[in-house]
Amino acid sequence: MEGIKAKLKAIFGAANVSDDPKVLAGYASDKSFAKTIAPAYVVKASNADQVEALVKFANEAKLPLIPVSSGAPHYRGDTVPSVAGAVIVDLSGMKKIISINSLHRMAVIEPGVTYGEFQEALAKEGMHLAYTLAPRSTKSVLASVMDCEPRLNAMHGWSYTEPFRCVEVTWGDGRRMYTGDAANGGPVGSLEKQFTEEKWQVSPLGPMMLDFYRLLTQSQGTMGIVTWASIRCELAHQAHDCFFLAANEEKDLLNFVWDVNHVRFSEEMFIMNKAEVANLMGKDAAEIAALKTALPAWIVFVGVGGRELLPKERCEQQAADIGEIAQKNGLTLLRSVGGISATNFYKKAISVSPAEKYWKETQKGAFQDIFFLSKIDDTAMFIDKMNALAAAAGYPVSDIGVYVQPIHMGTAYHVEFTLPYDPENKKETALVKDLFIKASEALAAAGAYYARPHGPWARIQLNKDAMNTKSLMKLKGIFDPNGIMNPGKISI
Amino acid sequence: MAINQEAYKELELIVGKRWISQDIAERECYRSIMAESSAHSGPYDGETPLPGAVILPGSTEEVQAIVKICNKYDIHFKACSTFWSVMGFIGDDDSLQIDMKRMKKMEFHERDQYVIVEPYCIGAVVQVEAMKRGFNVNMAGVGCSSSTLAGASSWVAFGPSSCFMGVASENFLAVEWVLPNGDLLRTGTLGSGGDWFCGEGPGPSVRAILRGAQGTAGSFGVCTRLAVRLHPWPGPTCLPTYGTVPAYKLVPTWNLKTYTLNFPDWDGYANTINFLSQNQDIAYLGHRQYNMWGRYIKLAMIKLLIEPGGQLADLPKYMADPFIKEQTEKCRIDLQVVIVGMTKRDLEWKEKAIDEILRRVGGWKNEFMLQPEVHDWVLLYLLRLGHKNLNYTLCSSYEGSGGLSNNVFVTSKVMEEYHELREEFDKTHNGLAATGGDSEMGALSTLGGGGITGYEFFQWFDRHDRESVKGCCDFIQNYSQKLCDKYGFGADMGNWNMTARHPDTGYYYTQDEQNAMFVNSPQPGLQIYQYLVKKAFNPLDLCGSYYRTLDPEYWEANHK
Repeated sequence: MEGIKAKLKAIFGAANVSDDPKVLAGYASDKSFAKTIAPAYVVKASNADQVEALVKFANEAKLPLIPVSSGAPHYRGDTVPSVAGAVIVDLSGMKKIISINSLHRMAVIEPGVTYGEFQEALAKEGMHLAYTLAPRSTKSVLASVMDCEPRLNAMHGWSYTEPFRCVEVTWGDGRRMYTGDAANGGPVGSLEKQFTEEKWQVSPLGPMMLDFYRLLTQSQGTMGIVTWASIRCELAHQAHDCFFLAANEEKDLLNFVWDVNHVRFSEEMFIMNKAEVANLMGKDAAEIAALKTALPAWIVFVGVGGRELLPKERCEQQAADIGEIAQKNGLTLLRSVGGISATNFYKKAISVSPAEKYWKETQKGAFQDIFFLSKIDDTAMFIDKMNALAAAAGYPVSDIGVYVQPIHMGTAYHVEFTLPYDPENKKETALVKDLFIKASEALAAAGAYYARPHGPWARIQLNKDAMNTKSLMKLKGIFDPNGIMNPGKISI
Repeated sequence: MAINQEAYKELELIVGKRWISQDIAERECYRSIMAESSAHSGPYDGETPLPGAVILPGSTEEVQAIVKICNKYDIHFKACSTFWSVMGFIGDDDSLQIDMKRMKKMEFHERDQYVIVEPYCIGAVVQVEAMKRGFNVNMAGVGCSSSTLAGASSWVAFGPSSCFMGVASENFLAVEWVLPNGDLLRTGTLGSGGDWFCGEGPGPSVRAILRGAQGTAGSFGVCTRLAVRLHPWPGPTCLPTYGTVPAYKLVPTWNLKTYTLNFPDWDGYANTINFLSQNQDIAYLGHRQYNMWGRYIKLAMIKLLIEPGGQLADLPKYMADPFIKEQTEKCRIDLQVVIVGMTKRDLEWKEKAIDEILRRVGGWKNEFMLQPEVHDWVLLYLLRLGHKNLNYTLCSSYEGSGGLSNNVFVTSKVMEEYHELREEFDKTHNGLAATGGDSEMGALSTLGGGGITGYEFFQWFDRHDRESVKGCCDFIQNYSQKLCDKYGFGADMGNWNMTARHPDTGYYYTQDEQNAMFVNSPQPGLQIYQYLVKKAFNPLDLCGSYYRTLDPEYWEANHK
């Protein structure tokens, strides 16, 4: 082991290698139900050369590597070792925003750049990143886009993988590569030279017939380590307006959402139940409880926006047309619900949430998410099923937060259930842990698709399709022949 | 390996006698003249090899059984649907050409906004059925007579509407694919026993092996069914036309408009592209289309084409018309857009937005193109892309060259230099039709939401005239490519497939030849990983060299 430590120190410098049990403990578990396993070392990377040297060494020494980009706390178990003796590759210190180009709406960032840092930098250039729902302040943008976290605006999701574009990656076999436009003609490997030649790493595709970047999506660090990525951004709104619509049943809102999607109106649109709205907006448990009594059972949030061309007129036109679609569906555009204004709700939904008080933890101190993809008309069935499973398990159905987000221009729907619980209450924790597994299995049996197979979902989902799994394992064998990249994740 | 009688019998058992043939006359029909289509390997004076047999499967099960027989007897094979390009034809003697034309079912899932297509569903039919349901599909630049599935799975397939509707890679949902080793892969939700609405995951997307920036051009097994995303269509459920064949025009509809935007300079052009990319919902479709006929004759060509009896011999007359002459000069730098109103308010805003862009860049709408009959003809042309026969009318063939940068601000800076290059070439060469130097055409965007332009300069030549064919190759190799080299643009579009098969014989490259070509690539990992993927999924190397590969051992021993 000392030989390993010496080599790690040679690569990263002594100050950036730790086997201090206290430091290791910080990576041995997270806030999910993943089993606690301490890593052997934590290294703090600061550049791609170090990462490449590490992966080559890890192949020789058969060292498991676990890339971690976001700061604590973590919630999905993918950064917790599944095997002993692992090296945590902490990339959270790689915080360079390498470029922002507002003309081409592109940025290149390192893995440690968080949502708060990135959105602030983009705002100075008159842009923003397509929003995710109130990400925690320590969340890595790159980790989030690589995991295909849903964006609030399905209409700009031409690609399922948007806004993830090109990367610099060291694959599990130690080969460093550039993908998409970053590898397409011109000076490959030097961003500075590419910028000089006005190449802005726009297209993620290929650059040949193998779509390399797709192997990194939803991969939980099992294929390679990305040291920068180009990200597609949006011009900031010059004008924006927003509304709620309310109904007693989720299914009563679906036709409206479909109709708005179908004409490509709206800047943001999603469905939530009152528990989820209350969780997002409530300052404490008491306020959340009060909000739940005041709010309608289900809401749609819809935002309209205009950019530099006739922005005010665009907002007015879309608001009027969306209002007519609402009316056709027996609904009304509302400026507020349960005392919450749509504007304040929007601000909260697009802002980062403090890591020390992440909004999903406000109610009870902890939570467990279950999320998957569905067709639009199956969402109501999944909600009914989840409620029935919770009721049968003795979990309060009224506590379940539900968030339904159209993605990929409305061809798929992200369905997310949030189960708050008190981590100090052992009985309730055990109940939620058991419900999480049983509900995940039951929902999968009903057709839920875990495209992002965190934790137990990998077993559940991969077991459904032997040929896809066999093919995936072949690819894993090519790009990570010694199985050193986050072993135990995305496997059966 | 030649198809022996034992193998042939087994193939015959799969499809029945009617759907397989070794008749020499039928096999000859499955050869392509290398100069016949824009193959992006330059037009050359040769033919693709003669297949050993031709087979027409009727189902996925039959395709899978055929591929397994090919693996059993080491028979090289290639599937093709609509045979637009040389790319779809085999590249080894005695290979099996799989013609997919019997598989042409489609299934719409309106609520989930996709259609499942089989290989021989052509764009025209898919679009007609989609429009009946209030939807449209991104029509690839290849046009509506080609297979929707082939465009999405096997080549690039962006088109005039890609800014609004995305490119094939983005519209490609779940897929059913017979891998080269005979395994049947179903991606995403489909593989899990579900529907076709998502083709990604679970986890890292296996679909990565099926297409990247390009499809695999038939070199990675056979795609048998594919779900393609649908896009909104607020127009009529059936496009009503008037006029006489072949000059049909679209009956005007209140919410469909097309304009040809003109600009005083290339900066105005580039900035307009950028405005339309940043405000992605203005243009339903954006294309620099008719400039393909050349800067000097494009409007005269349109004038003769909207006349049912128009002849090429009429060109000089139209070119001399003072109005056409004046408007052609004003149309030097141009872009066609289609705007579509989802509602009346939406249409009003889009009209104002277009006017605002023109005000900011100093542009204008071309008056010739605003004439009602021209407008209605152009609208039908652009929405349907049903006039691809016109790519062969002017000179019998063409090759797309140039490509330049995908950054419009870079490309627009060299457009005049390219124009002058062609004009200089035409002064001393007769091989190409001298239509005006700048014959660049291309899409507002090759990615959904804009950001990347894709252009090709049409080089018009006569495929029946060896000197003309040679002239086209000469221009691409000795002029166009040199300009691309000068600015670091990479391979000229006319050379994109030069590494895929021998241009003169149509044969695929061997692995040794590919190793020699790619050993000193700027990033050899691209071809090395493709080699490893081919080894894993196509161990007998049965599908040809469009899938570019480099043996890592050869690279280790020989790279500089």
